[in-house]
Amino acid sequence: MATPTGKGTIVAAELTKVYNGKVRAVDGVSFEVAQGEVYGFLGPNGAGKTTTVAVLTAGLSATSGQATVDGIDVLRHPEDVKRRIGIVFQEMTSDGDLTGRENLELAAALYGVPRSEVASRVNGLLERMQVADAADRLAKTYSGGMRRRLELAVGTVHSPGVLFLDEPTLGLDPQGRAGFWKYVQELRREHGMTVFVTTHYLEEADGMCDRIAIIDHGRIVASGTPAELKDRLGGDIVTVRPLAAGPDLTPLLKAVPGVLTVTAQDGSYRVKCPNGEGLVPKLVEACARSNVSLAGVSLKRPSLDEVFLEFTGREFREDEGFSATDRAVMLGRVQNQLGGRR
Amino acid sequence: MIREVGALTRRELKRLARNPQAIVTSLLLPILYLLLFGQAFNLGAAVSPSVLKELVRGAPTYFSYFAAGMAGFVAVTATLFLGANVIFDRLFGVLKRTSSTPAGATAIFGSRLLAGILQPVGLAFLVLGLAVGLGKAGLSGLTVTAPVSFVGAGEVVLAIVILSVMFASLFLAIGFTIEQPQSYFAVVNAINLPVLLTSAALFPWGLMPVWFRNVASFNPITLAVNVIRENLFAGATAYYPYDASVYLLGLAAWAAAIIVVAIVLARRALAPRS
Repeated sequence: MATPTGKGTIVAAELTKVYNGKVRAVDGVSFEVAQGEVYGFLGPNGAGKTTTVAVLTAGLSATSGQATVDGIDVLRHPEDVKRRIGIVFQEMTSDGDLTGRENLELAAALYGVPRSEVASRVNGLLERMQVADAADRLAKTYSGGMRRRLELAVGTVHSPGVLFLDEPTLGLDPQGRAGFWKYVQELRREHGMTVFVTTHYLEEADGMCDRIAIIDHGRIVASGTPAELKDRLGGDIVTVRPLAAGPDLTPLLKAVPGVLTVTAQDGSYRVKCPNGEGLVPKLVEACARSNVSLAGVSLKRPSLDEVFLEFTGREFREDEGFSATDRAVMLGRVQNQLGGRR
Repeated sequence: MIREVGALTRRELKRLARNPQAIVTSLLLPILYLLLFGQAFNLGAAVSPSVLKELVRGAPTYFSYFAAGMAGFVAVTATLFLGANVIFDRLFGVLKRTSSTPAGATAIFGSRLLAGILQPVGLAFLVLGLAVGLGKAGLSGLTVTAPVSFVGAGEVVLAIVILSVMFASLFLAIGFTIEQPQSYFAVVNAINLPVLLTSAALFPWGLMPVWFRNVASFNPITLAVNVIRENLFAGATAYYPYDASVYLLGLAAWAAAIIVVAIVLARRALAPRS
């Protein structure tokens, strides 16, 4: 792919953000997103996803590195970048004391939507987001799903070339998430919008993103299309769990025809193979021949969960850890308290 | 910029209109002062009319002198919560949304200032009207003894507007600087009463010790109420060393200095976080 540097693109080069001189929330991240692409940042809480979005949307200054959005240098011209992008934050940021319609009209004015187009755009978005019936109700009376859709409408009222979605479906039920993504895909199709999304929902990243970067501890550990990432696993994963701890089974399992690699992990063995279904009986038989009793054998098709495990060495947990911002705030509090004691 | 300021100002005014208790709250303290303190503190009963005139700088009664002071004080009470709105907008994410748009810090600050001064200006004239009404109802009331000229009326309006701009800027600046509501209210409480008590809004000028007069002379509330009193009371100018326009200039200097500081603080608060 040619290096994208122009309209509708996002480029980050060695982007680094260190909070309080200590917490490296983003650590030398580099990636390129082409126009019209849906690019996903996948990682657990505290991985650095929101910090990356904050830097790319000119809400946070980077410690080092470079970034351009829609062909504009974010660090040098943050105000120009703000004009060209739309953002949906993970928290609700529309004004609860204004109606849905007033929120959209306000956003349209702030983004400089021509006055003659405001009414039609606002009405169109209210219809599309299915909040037209509640358009003149205060936003604080909306349900969670309606409020989320209003957030998306506010973020896209000016038809931005690049849309940033930071954990946009947090707290929504599966039906709400599906609905939200339907609107995003429609907007993308109609306007050729580039979408940068952070999520810790694996199925969301798998189903909606053209390409994904897996971020962990502030670093991108793998990137590619969902299919490419799964292909890198080299096939199915069979997990063999012995009943009791005993001698290392790696040589025994590796000797079974069809096994690609064996990795010991937490008392179990992850066996990679091209055809897991056919391999399971052979693995069980090999263990039985060597008098190894098994607690269980499981087969997993390649999934992003497995991809995450492969590249980070640990299971993906959606609710794990504090965010980088939380960690920075906590560190600051501890430093203040220590300072106060002195 | 103009469109952004207009849109954000409309938003502030809609919120104010949907929260009428904020208007009532800011009117409560000056009204209580008028109804209780102003009625009870009957200075005229204790001194001769000529002495009284000296004490209250040419005003016909203490209440008239005091009512003009309350019109100035309302600029404080009606702008007190402007900074709290900034803090709550930050806590609820609204400020994050606004500062993620192309609207600059000056537009965000300017719109809050514009919307913020409407209330104190309106309430100041309401207080003056109410003070006149109390007199008509047989209680101590405000008596305007000077023929108020067009220029004089303009000076009174200008004094109230500038004073409101100054205090609105001050409290917005504090709101942009402080993150926690409880800290904000502590700071505001620490400002509110000292500003009132070091001014000539309440105390008869002639009873103040010299050192207190020196302090009160520079208080922005004093500067504003001097303008009001010089214009409302016949012969009052003889009791003031300067013309009302000089006090207006002093007040404008106060307002300009605080606006500059407030814009700097707002820009810092809304700049990309480091």
